[in-house]
Amino acid sequence: MWFFILAELLVFGVFFLAYAFARTRNVELFNASQLELDQLSGAINTVLLISSSYFVVRAVDQIRHDRSRSCAYWLIAAMTCGGTFLALKLVEFGAKIEAGISMSTNTFFMFYLGLGFFHFMHVVLGMVILGAVTLKAWKGGYSATSYGGVETGAAYWHMVDLVWIILFPLIYVLH
Amino acid sequence: MKYKSQAVAKPYFIAAIGLFLGQIVFGLIMGLQYVVGDFLFPAIPFNVARMVHTNLLIVWLLFGFMGAAYYLIPEESERELHSPKLALAMFWIFLVAGAATILGYLLVPYASLAKWTGNDLLATMGREFLEQPLPTKIGIVVVALAMLYNLSMTVLRGRKTTINLVMLIGLWGLAIFFLFSFYNPGNLVKDKYYWWWVVHLWVEGVWELIMGAMLAFVLIKVTGVDREVIEKWLYVIIAMALISGLIGTGHHYYWIGAPEYWQWWGSVFSALEPIPFFMMTVFAFNMVNRRRREHPNKAAVLWALGTGVMAFLGAGVWGFLHTLAPVNFYTHGSQITAAHGHMAFYGAYAMVVMTMISYTMPLMRGRAANSRISQVVEMWSFWLMTVAMVFITLFLTAAGILQIWLQRIAAEPMSFMAAQEQVSLFYWMREVSGLIFLVGLVLYIASFFIKGKSEAATA
Amino acid sequence: MMKAATFQWLILLAMTAVAVGLSQASLSDNAILAPVLLTTLVKGRIVIDRFMALQGAIAPWRWIVLGWLVVVVGLIGFAFHMAQT
Ligand code: HEM
Ligand code: HEM
Ligand SMILES: [Fe+2]
Repeated sequence: MWFFILAELLVFGVFFLAYAFARTRNVELFNASQLELDQLSGAINTVLLISSSYFVVRAVDQIRHDRSRSCAYWLIAAMTCGGTFLALKLVEFGAKIEAGISMSTNTFFMFYLGLGFFHFMHVVLGMVILGAVTLKAWKGGYSATSYGGVETGAAYWHMVDLVWIILFPLIYVLH
Repeated sequence: MKYKSQAVAKPYFIAAIGLFLGQIVFGLIMGLQYVVGDFLFPAIPFNVARMVHTNLLIVWLLFGFMGAAYYLIPEESERELHSPKLALAMFWIFLVAGAATILGYLLVPYASLAKWTGNDLLATMGREFLEQPLPTKIGIVVVALAMLYNLSMTVLRGRKTTINLVMLIGLWGLAIFFLFSFYNPGNLVKDKYYWWWVVHLWVEGVWELIMGAMLAFVLIKVTGVDREVIEKWLYVIIAMALISGLIGTGHHYYWIGAPEYWQWWGSVFSALEPIPFFMMTVFAFNMVNRRRREHPNKAAVLWALGTGVMAFLGAGVWGFLHTLAPVNFYTHGSQITAAHGHMAFYGAYAMVVMTMISYTMPLMRGRAANSRISQVVEMWSFWLMTVAMVFITLFLTAAGILQIWLQRIAAEPMSFMAAQEQVSLFYWMREVSGLIFLVGLVLYIASFFIKGKSEAATA
Repeated sequence: MMKAATFQWLILLAMTAVAVGLSQASLSDNAILAPVLLTTLVKGRIVIDRFMALQGAIAPWRWIVLGWLVVVVGLIGFAFHMAQT
């Protein structure tokens, strides 16, 4: 799993830098386009992902104390945050598409939509992983001595969070 | 050999090697036509020779994959093949269809061939690698489906291992992606999309699964390293191959009329494609270093290691060389592409098939390994072919750099043919290397006929 | 132990608020660059070391992931700085 996480971080890292350096050649365009973003939605999403990450930490802690049920509850809380994140993101993308903006509009929107969508798919995958872990935890499939699955799922989810923690200031905030 | 039915692999491998020889002969004909334009005019025009060269390549690799699958799947599933008869019947159908197609290319003008074989019912012909007439394409699908049925039944009823599942998924993917070759839209951009979805998704997608499974199989056998270790590697390799390879298709969308953002997505993802190839190299060396036994078949071990290295060089290094959009802007469709195509196809797929043949052929002929002398000859052939291919690649790369410079960058760019004239020395050297390659291949074939005292008869 | 995690979570939230606040406060572009990147760095480190629990983990992983964070954030800073001058 750690190998994948590193590979994913590598891809995102390359894209972040591509964004940053592509911007140097087109600062005005990037700054102007950035104003059209919904910063509030982005900020709420940051709060959601950070909180979900925290809930996942709690879930891991619960299973260490052999409390399968409450582990599952914390995971469900995390997934609720993740689900809300996805919903907000869809609204945000929907508004952009409504406004006639696409990946071909300009380089800024290519990155905004492309990276956003790529990250979106990672949240979806993360949800699937957490969902599977939750189910197993609910059925009592983990214990204080054997909870590798929970930790692995948690690591993946934190990676998704970590990426967003950089993505948000990079694309929504810095100008 | 544990199961009788594994022996159906033998005719597949023999056919593969025979067609390989044909491929090289036509390669050499073309190589000469590059510098002596009217060689064999008008009997074999360049475009026909090219079609024969590349189609033979694909067909012999398919023979190799099928043979490998028929050998590997029963052994991994620990039961006889579902139907050896079906496998043998498919062999003959495929061989006859393949031979008829090649003869068709050589004896009939391509346009007439198209007319006679119903290309106006469903136009599928005329695209590189996928030139086959409609009946041949349908034949390929039938043969593939019959094979998949045969193999899937074997796996379903038998032991399921990572190796046979990966192999099976790879073969299913191969068959499914081939279906894109039946759609040939009039819109040139769409046409290119569908073409790449066969060509790219094959060599940089599902074929990597097939290759990984074959390599893992041989490595387990010759090194005796624990299956768990090898399977872990296999998982990571194929996952990386799929992640990078699918979106990496974008490295063919740069200049075909696709949206501009593909220059970013194609560049970044295809830049990761060397990783699985690099891992295969590390994998092969790692396993051989940790070996628990000295397998008497030294030649097979050499092929396995060679596959790792050459696949990484050809696909990974030479692929990376021109995969970033700003570089590809200059190198697109030049001799650099040809250099990469040659080393990648040889290093990855030709060599992995020969690895498999090298390991299985002695077993199918009733011995653990060939005699010392026969193995020495085989290893010579390995070095001759591999070194010759390295030189072919280097000469083509040199020709490519010069070509790009003269034709695309210089202050007063030359016309295409004038630039070709300038680099003809490299084409001569390529042809000489090609002859050495042929010598290597002939030695390889000869090694099968050398008897000598056979080594210990245990597997 | 979970108290610490709760505290870290609150820090993460606060830092997000600071970054958004800074960008709303229509300060000059130069002024927000450093603080925003700094909050990002701190947030990233918390997630890596505490949430992913890589602090104290087997050596290479932590340094690779932390190294990734520093290199990416650092180069972003460099690129944005270049764009301003
Ligand atoms: C074993 C694996 C591979 C094989 C057999 C292979 C083979 C080929 C062949 C035959 C072509 C020429 C297609 C044509 O006729 O236009 C080609 C093109 C190309 N390949 Fe590969 N390839 C492999 C892996 C890779 C990898 C890993 C990369 C990137 C890192 C790569 C990058 C490219 C690029 C960029 C082109 C387009 C060249 C152009 O614009 O003319 N290939 N490949
Ligand atoms: C050994 C002597 C060989 C010679 C002299 C030779 C020569 C050639 C020539 C002249 C072309 C046409 C290039 C063009 O259209 O301008 C070609 C294409 C090709 N050959 Fe070979 N070849 C040889 C061996 C091989 C081998 C061993 C392989 C693979 C295992 C191979 C794979 C290919 C492929 C994939 C293409 C299509 C490349 C593309 O589309 O860019 N060839 N070869
Ligand atoms: Fe490709």
